[in-house]
Amino acid sequence: MIETIRPPQNIRREIIDLPCGDERLALHVWRPERIKGAVFYFHGLQSHAGWLWEVGPRFADNDIAFFVLDRRGSGISPGLRGEIPDADTVLGDYAGAAAFVREMIGDTVPLSLFGHCLGGSLMAALMCHEGFTTSYDAAVFCSSWLGRMHATLDPATRAAVAADRSGELWEAGLQAADFTDEAKYQHFIDHDDLAVRRLTRRSRAVLLDLERRYLTGRPVTSPVPAATFVSGITDPIVDLDAAQSVFQDLVSGRGALMRFPTDKHYLFYTGVSGDLVDWTSTYTLLQGVNRGA
Amino acid sequence: MDTPQTPQTLQLPQTSQWQQHWQARRDPFVEECFQARESLLADLKDPATAQDRVLDDLIDIGAASLHWKEKGYDVIAADPGTFRSVLPVMRYNDFAEEIDRETRTKGGVLSCSPVLRWLKTSGTTGTPKRVPYTLHWLLTYRIPAMKAMWGTCLEHHPEILAHPWATLDTQTVREDVYDFVHGVEHQAISNRHPQLNSRDWNPPWYESPWFGPDAPTSHAGRMYHRVRNLVGKDLHYISAINPSTLVSLRDLIAEHGAELVRDLREGTLRGKPWTDPDEKAAVHLERVLAEDDFSLVDVWPSLTLYSCWLSASAELYRPRLDAVLPGVAKLPFMSCGTEGVTTIPVDDTLESQPLAVSQAYFEFVPAEVPLDALLDAGEKVDTLLYDEVEAGRDYHLIMSQGNGLYRLWTGDIYRVDRIVDGTPWVHFTHRDGVFHSFTGEKITEGQVTQAIRQGLAAGGLETGLYMCGPRWDELPSYTVVVEVPQPAPELDRELSDAIDRELSVINIEYASKRDSGRLAGLRVRTVAQGAIAAYVESRRQQGNATQYKYKPFQKDVDFVDALVTG
Repeated sequence: MIETIRPPQNIRREIIDLPCGDERLALHVWRPERIKGAVFYFHGLQSHAGWLWEVGPRFADNDIAFFVLDRRGSGISPGLRGEIPDADTVLGDYAGAAAFVREMIGDTVPLSLFGHCLGGSLMAALMCHEGFTTSYDAAVFCSSWLGRMHATLDPATRAAVAADRSGELWEAGLQAADFTDEAKYQHFIDHDDLAVRRLTRRSRAVLLDLERRYLTGRPVTSPVPAATFVSGITDPIVDLDAAQSVFQDLVSGRGALMRFPTDKHYLFYTGVSGDLVDWTSTYTLLQGVNRGA
Repeated sequence: MDTPQTPQTLQLPQTSQWQQHWQARRDPFVEECFQARESLLADLKDPATAQDRVLDDLIDIGAASLHWKEKGYDVIAADPGTFRSVLPVMRYNDFAEEIDRETRTKGGVLSCSPVLRWLKTSGTTGTPKRVPYTLHWLLTYRIPAMKAMWGTCLEHHPEILAHPWATLDTQTVREDVYDFVHGVEHQAISNRHPQLNSRDWNPPWYESPWFGPDAPTSHAGRMYHRVRNLVGKDLHYISAINPSTLVSLRDLIAEHGAELVRDLREGTLRGKPWTDPDEKAAVHLERVLAEDDFSLVDVWPSLTLYSCWLSASAELYRPRLDAVLPGVAKLPFMSCGTEGVTTIPVDDTLESQPLAVSQAYFEFVPAEVPLDALLDAGEKVDTLLYDEVEAGRDYHLIMSQGNGLYRLWTGDIYRVDRIVDGTPWVHFTHRDGVFHSFTGEKITEGQVTQAIRQGLAAGGLETGLYMCGPRWDELPSYTVVVEVPQPAPELDRELSDAIDRELSVINIEYASKRDSGRLAGLRVRTVAQGAIAAYVESRRQQGNATQYKYKPFQKDVDFVDALVTG
């Protein structure tokens, strides 16, 4: 468990050039002196590992190794900006990266998956993906509107989205003010030249496909050991009730709900950031307690 | 928090929060400083082990970084002996691309440590530098260096922690930061705010009202705030980096004396309620102010120590310091820059300090070697290690730092004074390529030329011959003589303003010193076309001056009178 009587650690920050299919993607790691737990983070549409510069060190200082894969076309990973490859490629990348993380930390270290916003949707799809065989101990869905496209688009529109293979760009319409009300972070979001703000229409079809994979009753590949849906009290981007309903279906009604006192979408850029890191750290470490021993 | 929390504070139930912090931090701080000093002293006696340790650490923190792996530098991990043959000597600008990448990733590119903030300092091209301040560098190098230096102060002058008002620290400040690089603070290294973690710089006075972010940010406002808090107290020690800070402190008291007396008498700060009235201090200060040539010792008879840079051009301040702080003991400040620490004082020797062999991996190149030209030509540079330098000689300093800036040619020239226990004792002499630096502004010839060109161009004038020199005065300044078609006093004023402004943009340290009233504005004198050429020619004709060549940058301003009246 976390040692509480000690000064802050001298943690490491590394970027691993990870072979994923035909590409090499950037897997970012914040590593404590001794790894007692690990979190694998799925970033959202716009963000990338660079957004976690304050979060990674705090996790690591809690003895939690923190991993973020820059998706193809995101952050410093190669790939066309605004383009999400087909669902099997995306999920294959994540499956490979998760397997790498498990091998790096060893079999006994508890591992949580943590998906933020769209990252939660990708994480849910991965949990239903046959190629994903890595053991994990907890899943945290953070401000994730699971099943959003299915909830907001009628069947005819969904069919049109699914059929659209054009490279025309679709504006995601995300506003920094919905993410945070702190000027420092708003300025960063508005000026982050690595951020993805527009997607090709064929990428939207991929997102729809990814949603379909966890909404159509396909079971998760192995039972989810522990799961929590985390959000602010309200969320300017996410319909929390709708998202939590999908979440409960996914985890067979065993999921916990947790709300932090903020009304912004990107919890890590609000006053609850530290508490969310600490809660997730504890949640992760507790999965390693062998109560049957 | 009014409730006393510890036995120490129980003895002082009336103390405020900053005083409680002072009480709680005093003993641990002393212990930490002494430990850091002991470690430094041990390393100075065994420099080989210290340098090996630093090299191993640099490789450990660098080898897995993206940059090292991409370039194949990670092979050094298998054989540290190849460090100098594998890694090239670099200038700051050579790191520009990797620094740019690291601003986006915040670590993992140049070294395997998170970047917690970017340190801002003047660049040679007008763009402020971004020096990565990593967690590893903070914990392993920068904070221990400060503690070791304070350990020396405490060893020689324990009275500086006699009570919460005993020390005025102007070396470091705590100011809110409003400048960011992709979300990460961009600030001077002297600004140690906000605290990055509990191992960050945390002296007993960290919460003091004259030290915290609530103090005014302007130089004069901050100085007044400090003085107002400490006048009338038994101040023992004033710590500064630049000697000009100490001189300006005395000048500020002279200038704002009446206001200070009034604030003391009425218990106010700038007219607003602050504390209890202190009639005794008001009367004392009034008496001091009545003397035109009062010193800081007259203000604070309890002063026993001051510290600041005292070698190189700072040495020229010594007579003025002796007048401002007569009879007060002095200790030198460490030789350091934003890019790293080079020496740390271990005693009261003013002219020389030991190479801080635990702070960086140091290499040297004889000063007469034209390093810039060699690097421009892409030639390999042979370097000497700490045990290969000779007393009495000057060297370029190349250092590898724990923040990922390896084999960095600092541009600083150091003279080796002597070797003690195998460790060179050195002092900073000057910066390679720097024209002048009164108070840390490090003006280069390129910067002055650029400022003059831009200043003249703004007035529709072409740049021809010009001469520039440093003018020593109560407030030092630079004087520039330029040739123009129609010289006029009004044009002098316009150009003075314009070029001063341009130089402030190009060199942020210059701007800072101008804003804080430690440098007077640059003065321009216009002369007719051909006047400078004629002056140079006349000098050439003066017998022994056959070798006299036109040099735009002069060591003094003797040329001004000859040119303007001649």
